[in-house]
Amino acid sequence: MTLLGEIALWVALPVALWGTVLSFVGGRQDRGDLVLSGERAVHAVFALLLVVSAGIIAAFLGDRFEYWYVASYSNRDLDTYYKISGLWAGQRGSLVFWALLLSLFSSITVFGNRFKNREFMPYVTGTLLAISSFFLIVLLFANVNPFERLDFLPADGQGLNPQLQNYWMTIHPPTLYLGFTAFTVPFAFAISALLTGRLDARWLVLTRRWILLSWFFLTNGIVFGMRWAYEELGWGGYWFWDPVENASLLPWLTATAFLHSIQIQENRGMLKVWNMGLVTLTFLLTVFATFLTRSGLIESVHTFAQELTIAVIFLTFMGLLTIICTVLIVWRWPLLKTENQIQSFVSRESAFLFNNLIFLGAAFTVLWGTLLPLITEGLMGEKIAVGPPFFNRVNIPIGLALLALMGIGPVIAWRRASTRNLRKNFLFPMLFGIGVFAAFAVAGSRQWMALTTFGLSAFVLAIVFVEFWKGTRARARIEGEGAARAFYHLVARNRRRWGGYIVHVGVVMIFTAFAGEAFDDEITQTVNPGDQILISSPFGHDYTLEYQGVSTTLRTGNMAWQAMAFLTVSKNGRPVGTMTSEKRMYFTWEAPVTEVGILSSPLEDLYVIFEDAEDLAGAVQNEAGSQQVTLEVQVNPLVGWIWYGGLIMTIGSLIAIWPSRGSIPATSVAHVEPEPAAAAV
Amino acid sequence: MGVMLGALMLILGVVLFLLLPILRGEWAGMARSKGELTDAEARKRAALKALRDVEYDYHTGKLDDADYSDLKTALSRDALHAMKRADQAEQAESGEVASAHSGSAATTGDDDLEAEIERARAGLRAGRACGNCGELNVEGSRFCVTCGATLASEAAQA
Repeated sequence: MTLLGEIALWVALPVALWGTVLSFVGGRQDRGDLVLSGERAVHAVFALLLVVSAGIIAAFLGDRFEYWYVASYSNRDLDTYYKISGLWAGQRGSLVFWALLLSLFSSITVFGNRFKNREFMPYVTGTLLAISSFFLIVLLFANVNPFERLDFLPADGQGLNPQLQNYWMTIHPPTLYLGFTAFTVPFAFAISALLTGRLDARWLVLTRRWILLSWFFLTNGIVFGMRWAYEELGWGGYWFWDPVENASLLPWLTATAFLHSIQIQENRGMLKVWNMGLVTLTFLLTVFATFLTRSGLIESVHTFAQELTIAVIFLTFMGLLTIICTVLIVWRWPLLKTENQIQSFVSRESAFLFNNLIFLGAAFTVLWGTLLPLITEGLMGEKIAVGPPFFNRVNIPIGLALLALMGIGPVIAWRRASTRNLRKNFLFPMLFGIGVFAAFAVAGSRQWMALTTFGLSAFVLAIVFVEFWKGTRARARIEGEGAARAFYHLVARNRRRWGGYIVHVGVVMIFTAFAGEAFDDEITQTVNPGDQILISSPFGHDYTLEYQGVSTTLRTGNMAWQAMAFLTVSKNGRPVGTMTSEKRMYFTWEAPVTEVGILSSPLEDLYVIFEDAEDLAGAVQNEAGSQQVTLEVQVNPLVGWIWYGGLIMTIGSLIAIWPSRGSIPATSVAHVEPEPAAAAV
Repeated sequence: MGVMLGALMLILGVVLFLLLPILRGEWAGMARSKGELTDAEARKRAALKALRDVEYDYHTGKLDDADYSDLKTALSRDALHAMKRADQAEQAESGEVASAHSGSAATTGDDDLEAEIERARAGLRAGRACGNCGELNVEGSRFCVTCGATLASEAAQA
């Protein structure tokens, strides 16, 4: 099976190249037979990559350590679950996985459009296959072939990094890759629109769902990554501004900007060049993210020099794409001219425009902060560290501005908004926001950034609530429906708008959680059994953690030993449970790793880190005199709201994406409503 | 040996799969199929949606009376223009046999178009929702403008 996979990888490249050439030639010469052959190549590449992936998984399951990739990321004791996810555990496999997902989405696109949008399809097919070809070239010629064999047969593999042996880590990368690759479809349609000159909003309408789908996966991928960092990295945080995280955030920022700006093009025929630029930029950033995380560039420019081939191929590809897209946009400039002007500074268009500028500003600062250390290392041989303080200082004001716009945007009318109406609409939400801010200030808090966030969040929530309430009320009045039914129809009739507002609620929750970090509390203490650790929560109660001792198990599964510190927890003197934090020593890893203990409640998490043991060897032997350990205890207020907020964003985006088969009753089809407003609500 | 045979069959199968359309002269569709949105129709649709948005903004208190009536006049004019263009495009496409379907294609007078705007908007209000993707379509549409699914059966049911 593995050998067959290797052969399939070699077959896939000529097939993809064949399909690329035939699709473009067929489209240009109006040759349906060539186009059909090109479309078949898409399905063939997908099938071949399935064989390739099956080959890699078979090698993992069969412990075929003669393959470098398997020997580096697996060993005999590894759980089957992690052996299967070995496909995306390392660079080589994840490049295959990237190509597999891309070919899956390509196949779905070609199949779904076999009877429609035909004038777009030859170039869509060609673009998709060209990008597949690129990844196949990388796999075959950049020293990253997953089927590369070692000169000898190792008795066992090196095993998987224990920090990657976590549930979230197995689903986090695939989710991100789904997001990255799904964005290739809108990009392919954009290229096709440029080539065919069909530059009205139609390509946007056709790819809207793909854009949302990609965004949905990117969002989830990022949240899963945060969850993993929080559970597994053991310092109580969830975001480091580390280059790998930044790489996934960059396309998310530009994709989010794009999601908003396409609405201006759809509604007002404006920003066509801008949108073409954004779709290209976002796609380039997805490739860049893959390059950054999977090329070894991050560790150091110097070790990276050994992997020069992959860098040259990636940079050439990105350079070529940039040139091609720029040339196409300049060539089609006359067709991309705007149909309307912004009529007023105070309008939804200009709010969207500000939103876009801010998102791009954020993307630029993140990109700059990510690249600067690499550039300085390359040029001056010295790494200038750009750490969280830089990113936080720049991005907190950016985040607050976005939060404010999130409230303002929905209430401002398209085209022009009169100040009198604005005052009327903003009065209640503004008072509510100020009230929340004041309440915290009166309660004695002096964390101004956090209080501003809370105030703005309250403002946005009030706006969203009022939007839903007014819409439901208008619909209930006009249609004579009950509130629940009116609400349901309101959302069902314009799912993108209302799904979007629900996403905003999730974003507000996440921002609130970020602000909650300002109220973190932590204490580090060396304890013996029976000792107590006291820590107080910003919500006014106190926790008492009583250390009970360490219990060690030897030789369990793939661990040499597992030492578990036990604590009993009480809140204001009332017992609420037990917590454990562990040190683990894996057979295949040099140093022990830490597993943190987390006790979650809706408002805050209690977080325990087993820092060190006075006499680790003694503790591992369960000696009574060797029980003294150092523990760090944290209270992390509101951190759970990141996961709840992520869930709400997921629900909102699903509402926006979901096809509503039969959700609108047939009886309403022929029913003409008496009032014009019903059309809108 | 078995692997080599498998590989050979794999390669042979792929080559055949790719070459058959060219050898047998099978063609993929190349042109826009009937019922798919044209440029002119897309504009008409955007104009009608803009009217809908203005009304939503007005009824939820985001626009005052003066701005509302200004915008409504301007947008109705845009919509009329767009519908005229869409009709002309349709006539051009169907060539000389411009059959007078429901009387609107043959006449381009402003009064008829006013009436047609009203009809189109009534259709939007009535929410001829596509059973496949949920997109709201103008009344009288036979196909969904977004996904191309047939709408006719729904109209028959209603």
